[in-house]
Amino acid sequence: MYNKTILICDDDEGILDMLELILEETGYRIIPVKNSLLIYEEIEKQSPDLILLDLWMPVLSGDQVLRTLRKNPETNNIPVIVISASREGQRIANEAGADDFIAKPFDLDQLVNRVQKLIAA
Amino acid sequence: MENRKGHELDSLNNGEFTFSNDTLKQDLSLLMKALDSSISGIILTDNQQPDNPIIYCNKAFERITGYQRHEIIGHNCRFLQKEDRNQKERAVLRNAVKEGKECVVEMRNYQKNGTLFWNELYMSPIKDEQGNVCYFIGVQNDVTRRKKAEQELLHQQDVMEAQISERTKSLKESEDYLSSIVQTVRESLVVLNPDFKVLSVNEHFLKTFKVGKEETEGRLLYDLGNGQWNIPQLKELLENILPTNNPVEEFEVEHDFPHIGKKLMLLNAHRIELEGQYKDRILIAIEDITDRREIERRKDDFLSIASHELKTPLTTIKGYVQIMQRLLPSDISDKFKDILKKTGIYVERLNTLIADLLDMSRIQTGNIELHRETFDFDKAIHEAVENIQAATKTHQIIIKGSATNSYTGDESHIVQVINNLLSNAIKYSPESDEVEVYLSKVSNFLKVAVKDKGMGIKIEDQKKIFDRFFRVGEIQQRFPGMGIGLYVCEQIIKNHGGTLWVESEFGQGSTFSFTLPLDERKSNVQ
Repeated sequence: MYNKTILICDDDEGILDMLELILEETGYRIIPVKNSLLIYEEIEKQSPDLILLDLWMPVLSGDQVLRTLRKNPETNNIPVIVISASREGQRIANEAGADDFIAKPFDLDQLVNRVQKLIAA
Repeated sequence: MENRKGHELDSLNNGEFTFSNDTLKQDLSLLMKALDSSISGIILTDNQQPDNPIIYCNKAFERITGYQRHEIIGHNCRFLQKEDRNQKERAVLRNAVKEGKECVVEMRNYQKNGTLFWNELYMSPIKDEQGNVCYFIGVQNDVTRRKKAEQELLHQQDVMEAQISERTKSLKESEDYLSSIVQTVRESLVVLNPDFKVLSVNEHFLKTFKVGKEETEGRLLYDLGNGQWNIPQLKELLENILPTNNPVEEFEVEHDFPHIGKKLMLLNAHRIELEGQYKDRILIAIEDITDRREIERRKDDFLSIASHELKTPLTTIKGYVQIMQRLLPSDISDKFKDILKKTGIYVERLNTLIADLLDMSRIQTGNIELHRETFDFDKAIHEAVENIQAATKTHQIIIKGSATNSYTGDESHIVQVINNLLSNAIKYSPESDEVEVYLSKVSNFLKVAVKDKGMGIKIEDQKKIFDRFFRVGEIQQRFPGMGIGLYVCEQIIKNHGGTLWVESEFGQGSTFSFTLPLDERKSNVQ
């Protein structure tokens, strides 16, 4: 059985672990990326079906990553959900071209629902 | 009869009067009567006798001096001066007698009983055919009242002069006083004439902008410091705004000064409208808020970062708690389930506290953004109440009345206020089971009142509950929380142009009410 792949990019290991646990439980293959600088490489190697992207990350921030992805025709169509604890998160995500935004801390059911909806589309 | 008449005529002849018949005698008698009815005192003195004695006085002279005729005749008229002998007018009199000239003097004379009176004395010589002065005629008027009036006038003048000099002195003092205040304030003050030339600046201005008095006063404001005050925003304020909007307050100007760097300034400008010498002068007070703004910005940044960093592990904890609930084996004890549920509730509370903290910081620095949209106010209140009711088993929340179905404002903020007031009402009335919400429309305001039957608030605490972090003494122990809820509520209502207040009696419950202006133009003002 072919499992859909979700790339999670967050500099916080706790969140990476937790999300990996719940989403694997739900039935997805997970690619955790802690260092945002490595994200392009992983995307190229594994072509994920969806990306969960944090905003505030050292060196390369989530919105920078997202803008780059949107400019590249190869990655242009990958659904991206921004997850952030920033108050400005919603606005930043919209402006950078995210498909959805979820504020931290989130409700797991809500997160799983949104992920399923976007992946199915 | 004939003899007697002849005798009288003889006696008069001694005084060089010559009467040839009865008609003249009659005339003389009339003349004497006329003299006696004069209000001026009249005397004759005989200059041919030693010491120029008085030989005639009329009735008025007796009345004015208080002496009787027998006490007067034969005396030199200086007896009226009593001991007051050093009057300079005496020299004038003496001279007039010596030269045989007429004169007028005003002298201090004394009545018999010692009362001072001012005597205006007119003295005129009567000469014989050879030009020898035989008699003097003296006409005197009691001018005491006039003299008194004159003296009072003089006194008034003196008093007035004294007052003027006193006031001038006090004006000078108050000027010095004002100037010392102006020099002491920790705010820059500039006075301009109507053509924007600097008339004066205070010490703080010189210090803040690192300039000297001599290179400032008398110069055109725009030319100061090689034109570094030629600031477009300032020009706009002085030339376009101030002439029609006087005074202007809290006008923000940002400018990069060549030597002192970037400054953020708040200006109050006032053009003097009072008629007079200061009309159209311009006063400018400059507050340097560069540092304050920077500190506010840093604080905002700090709180944003802190809240972000706190929320990150919280996200993980919340996630794991939910996973645990999901993966719960079916045979687990109720006690364990309960613990897990409570863990979830407290994680949520922590999340709310972090959000509140950020809210407060933003509201306090005025960085809160209102997202105004028109929404159904009553419906929003009903929904908020339903949500709270769903989570509240102890209290019944009753809504009465209606306000409006169309209000323009930030719905999420208003709902935040309602939630806060309701949760307070519930929290602080543990012994009661009812909370009432009244909706109404008053004039062009909507009004919401949340009434509980709880412990109430002491009058001295009623003002303070809107302060940040204020928590009523023992309440702190029984009901934990940050104590910023009402502060945030009040700021939100203020931002919408309304007011939030409390009416309460200790032990009798509290009613928190707020109004919001319905008229949109008014709500935008603040």
